Amino acid sequence: MSAGRSVGRDVPRVDGLDKVTGAAQYTADLKFPRLLHVAVVRSPHPHARVLDVRTGLASRAPGVRAVASGRDFPLHTGIYLKDQTVFATDRVRFVGDPVAAVAAESPEAAAEAALLVEVDYEPLPPIFDVEEGMAEGAPLVHPDLGRYEVVPWIQPKAGTNVCNHLKIRKGDYEKALSGSWRVFQNTFRVPQVQHVPLEPHVSVARVDLSGKVEVHTSAQSPFTVRHLLAACFGLSHGDVRVHVPYVGGGFGGKAGINLEPIAVALAMRCRGRWVRLMVDRHEEFFATVVRQGLSATLVTGVDRSGKVQAQKMHYLWNCGAYGGYGVNIVRAAGYTCGGAYEFPNVWGDSIGVYTNRPVGSAYRGFGMQEIHWALEQQMDRVALEMGIDPVEFRLMNCLGAGKSTVTGQVLDEHAGRVDLCIRRVAEEIGLDPARERRPYRGKGIACAVKAPAMPNDAASSVVLKFAEDATLEILIAGIDYGQGLMTVAAQFAAEALDIPLETIRVKGCPDTDLSPYDWQTVASRQTWATGNAVLRAASEIGRQLCETSAEVLSVPAADLTLRGGHVVHEPTGRSIPLTRLVMGYQFPDGHAIGGPVAATTSYLPEGLLFLDPETSQSAKPVAKWTFGAQAVEISVDPETGQVTVEKVAACYDVGRVVNPGLIRGQTYGGIVQGIGTGTMEELVLDPKTGRALNASLMDYKIPSTEDVPTVMTVDFVETPQKDGPMGARGIGEHTMIPTPAAIANALFDACGVRISEMPITAEKVWRALKEKEKVRCRTPLPCRPLAAGPFSAESLARHLSSLPVPARTVALLTGIPRGNGSVDSVTVKWAHGRTRALVGTLRSGDVREVAYQPDVAALTGLGPGLTPTGDDLLVGLAAMASRLGDAGLVDPRALRAYGGSLGGLASASTTPAALALLGNAANGLYPSVLAAVVESLGNPDVQPETLLERAARLAAVGAHSGADLLAGALALALGIVFPEEAR
Amino acid sequence: MRSDLDYLVPSSVEEAVALRAASAGAAYLLGGTDLLPQMRAGRKAPGQLIDLKRIPPLREIRETADGGLSIGAAVVMADVEVHPAVLGRFPLLAECIRTVGAWPLRQRATLGGNVCNASPAADAAVALLALDAAFHVVSAEGRRSIPAGSFFRGPGQTALLPGELLTDLVLPGGAAGFRGRYLRLSRRKGMDLATVGVLVGKSSGTAPDRWRIGLAAVAPTPLRVAAAEERLEAKGAAAAEEAAALAVAACRPISDLRGSAEYRRDMVGVLVRRGVVELG
Ligand SMILES: Cc1cc2nc3c(=O)[nH]c(=O)nc-3n(C[C@H](O)[C@H](O)[C@H](O)COP(=O)(O)OP(=O)(O)OC[C@H]3O[C@@H](n4cnc5c(N)ncnc54)[C@H](O)[C@@H]3O)c2cc1C
Repeated sequence: MSAGRSVGRDVPRVDGLDKVTGAAQYTADLKFPRLLHVAVVRSPHPHARVLDVRTGLASRAPGVRAVASGRDFPLHTGIYLKDQTVFATDRVRFVGDPVAAVAAESPEAAAEAALLVEVDYEPLPPIFDVEEGMAEGAPLVHPDLGRYEVVPWIQPKAGTNVCNHLKIRKGDYEKALSGSWRVFQNTFRVPQVQHVPLEPHVSVARVDLSGKVEVHTSAQSPFTVRHLLAACFGLSHGDVRVHVPYVGGGFGGKAGINLEPIAVALAMRCRGRWVRLMVDRHEEFFATVVRQGLSATLVTGVDRSGKVQAQKMHYLWNCGAYGGYGVNIVRAAGYTCGGAYEFPNVWGDSIGVYTNRPVGSAYRGFGMQEIHWALEQQMDRVALEMGIDPVEFRLMNCLGAGKSTVTGQVLDEHAGRVDLCIRRVAEEIGLDPARERRPYRGKGIACAVKAPAMPNDAASSVVLKFAEDATLEILIAGIDYGQGLMTVAAQFAAEALDIPLETIRVKGCPDTDLSPYDWQTVASRQTWATGNAVLRAASEIGRQLCETSAEVLSVPAADLTLRGGHVVHEPTGRSIPLTRLVMGYQFPDGHAIGGPVAATTSYLPEGLLFLDPETSQSAKPVAKWTFGAQAVEISVDPETGQVTVEKVAACYDVGRVVNPGLIRGQTYGGIVQGIGTGTMEELVLDPKTGRALNASLMDYKIPSTEDVPTVMTVDFVETPQKDGPMGARGIGEHTMIPTPAAIANALFDACGVRISEMPITAEKVWRALKEKEKVRCRTPLPCRPLAAGPFSAESLARHLSSLPVPARTVALLTGIPRGNGSVDSVTVKWAHGRTRALVGTLRSGDVREVAYQPDVAALTGLGPGLTPTGDDLLVGLAAMASRLGDAGLVDPRALRAYGGSLGGLASASTTPAALALLGNAANGLYPSVLAAVVESLGNPDVQPETLLERAARLAAVGAHSGADLLAGALALALGIVFPEEAR
Repeated sequence: MRSDLDYLVPSSVEEAVALRAASAGAAYLLGGTDLLPQMRAGRKAPGQLIDLKRIPPLREIRETADGGLSIGAAVVMADVEVHPAVLGRFPLLAECIRTVGAWPLRQRATLGGNVCNASPAADAAVALLALDAAFHVVSAEGRRSIPAGSFFRGPGQTALLPGELLTDLVLPGGAAGFRGRYLRLSRRKGMDLATVGVLVGKSSGTAPDRWRIGLAAVAPTPLRVAAAEERLEAKGAAAAEEAAALAVAACRPISDLRGSAEYRRDMVGVLVRRGVVELG
């Protein structure tokens, strides 16, 4: 990592002292005179028509100062799609939908009065799943969808539940698919989860007697709150003032607008009074916002080499009751649908579906963890089934300079190096394909990519100004809710102006009346956008300082530099301290020049182009990409299903590490949050009532300190971002994107089961292991281990040359089919070739599982029948390998590698019966009829008649299963004993 | 949660019992770590809280004449789990207590509260059952002692009569010397209620060895599996599988957010077997 004077250094956070001393004030800490408290009346129904709301009793209750309800506030709000009113007017759409609210002198009075609000509902059929929502004739959650105001780049479908549909059409998917060598299809799911910020949502509002609105709120986006409040109440932006004090975590849940309209609506009813709406933990879970659910179906077509040629992605997003914000997650997931990979031919659909669940909104990662859960497991499955090492497979297919994304954007050499990230984490975790395997320990990898998902004109601006003593004050309106924005803003200024960090004060708690504009603190964009604005402002300030100094020193401004709090004339060494310049310079004769030094600058991403509405092709749809990868090592308790994440390695190409401590903190936090959503979190709704069943920290678990892995290693690549401040790009969200998929892949590596629906709970793993066990037990042939017995090479040679074998076995051993032209003849030829290749690899003693995987993958499922020919050959081979291994003729490590490649097969690759046989073979269990023959071969004590009899019994099994098993065993024996003949 | 709540702080057991007798809607309060969340959730709405924490005898741990130990209802778990007599003679109790919530919680949560709340998942209760504890209670009618084995009646239900106050929990001297393991599964590793808890205890001082098998979170009450204990006493640790099967047969789990009945039943077997094998 490159360190500058300040940038790149592990400086302590500038808000640290405020936070550890408790000086930092959060919204709920603020004291307001004669504060009123709010209770919200929420819908008990997931979907119902609102027939009548009567507030008379409530407004006359003791202590009540204001009651507000639906029809009085008819204007809609929503950041991209205006689909929500302050209170439900004609219908409620989820359990928790606000219908009315009461402001009273005490929280208790408010709560009691809220019970007096009478609402008449007419229940409607609810929809909870995306599939239901997409069904023909499904009840409509928003019958008025066609009338809502929407930004031009979001495409709702009136008359359906689809609030946005983004299509990716690149190349010729259909053609590429039909030309693929193998095709894989899988479905993955992600449930709704909640952000669980330490500080629940809280907003305080007052409308003064002149009608001006003032709000203090725990939010990520003061200006967007102002913008949307103004729209929602028909006010001038100039009459709305929003303050955001310190914020105790947002994770996306405080992006856009949330509780503020309810507080303002009540404040309008009791002018002059401060009104505070503060949700408790219970309400936080279902009544604020949640992460959207996802149901993803992927189809991957690969060529023989394992390069993906055709990729289809069908993402159905469970947006919940309102999609104002969520529609843009649908969009982002669409234009990022291929993750960190290059797919030449793509058919992608990202579809947002309204349901009667809690409201989906932004959540750290903005859809990316969800799609990577699907994509990264799919890539792993494809790799393993193709017999390619998953790391190698990723390197073969990943994006990089000169590669094109799903939107057809061709990346340049500044875009970041996912390949390096993959290599580093693979090395750190030891994902070497020849690694020693331990039962129920597994390793897995997943990549990550994300771009800032924002309007093309999303801007940040800053003010830099000096105090009299040359303290530099930086005004920003990005929110530092823990990620460290205030600190990096100070670092950039310190670096650019070469002034000590201690002389900088970042004014990080914005007030829209006084602070410079900033769109939102979301999208991992602040270090980059605010950072750029700070650098521009610093350069403007430098210009002002040098201009004044040039006049003072009578030298050209171009010869002046800023160094150590002075303006220095390098050629002569003469200098002026900033303290004498920042308020203007006064000459000895008394006249002054310059003036208070300050700059206001902004940053707006350049050159972004809309997506094509039909194909989403665009040469520059987003400002930047940040790539990365994580690899994990886990252990699994085979009896309880409990998964322990032992070690995580993360690596991201962040362009430039601005603050090593902060970025490590971000990464650790992201990993832990990823473990949370990956292994324990899910907001569970009662399927009948639509109520959240686990809306409390007792039943909704996020990781505790004891769940944090003991080892987390964090590493960075620094390929400078061309338009990044000193090369930096965003990282905040990316740190939690790949973790669940990496764990899922490690789980498969550990014990051969896949959990395709997040989270990976112990019980799900237990169930999957039981299922696998059941499949294993249903073998068509009873299995047992080989019995040890005497062996001599001479008797094996004798046996082999004297044993009569069925014609079918001969055909497989020679590769010459009996009747040409039949389907079976193709099988025989193909099987013969692959079997020979495997025999060769075993003979060579190759200890790498990957050396066996391609041939094993090719043979599994090959041929018709209950146990296809290919599988029988593999099992026969395995039994003989084990016997020859005992005899010292096959390297035991090669044997283990071969066995390992049989154990890791995916369920889709062959029939359940064959899978069971292969699984047994991997564990040293072989069909008894086969074992009897294999034990006899090369055993000098066995009489020829006995061997003959046993071989005949084996040959009689199935249509030709027995003959095929025998062929596998003999192929290896021949290959080892008579290498020339076999050839 | 109501705001017009009376908070009363008696200084003697007699005073507390009298206050309680005078008000049907009152509730005794110890650490409040069960009661207050239940009040906030609207599941309990007492008109008065009678805080027992300032009553000196309830805060004592005393040796008893038979070599046992009496633990006052108001002693916080953090004090029980490090008490030398508990660690020396009744380590099973410390073994279970250490799994309750987290250390800060145990600075407040009491043993008395854990049993009176009678959650099926009460971790300390399992140890008290296994150690044949007696619960001493007092009311306006007088004093009595309830064996742990007949104290738990169902989720939140105990043998306490209205107004009865638990003063102390008495571990008999005869139960000294059991060592063992409390194997417990939960959704996350730190601070979570048990999905399944299995206590396996063994005392080797006598011949044959004595065994204890207790279960949490797999029945309407914490359970002890006498049949499994007898089998182990007859056949020793070699009967681990049989003991596990008997425990599986004895448990009556439900499916809830923490786990399905099927999973819990299977886990009872796994954990009993593991515990027995470990104690050998
Ligand atoms: C975060 C958290 C985590 C937890 N984790 C666990 C866990 O892992 N395992 C576990 O078992 N429990 C757990 N609990 C539950 C709780 O902490 C324990 O049950 C604790 O022992 C209760 O003791 P207390 O002193 O707080 O009881 P209180 O809440 O004060 O009282 C509990 C009940 O007993 C009644 N009562 C109190 N004193 C008497 C008396 N002398 N006579 C008669 N009735 C009386 C009260 O009226 C009340 O109904 C957890 C609780 C929390 C908040």
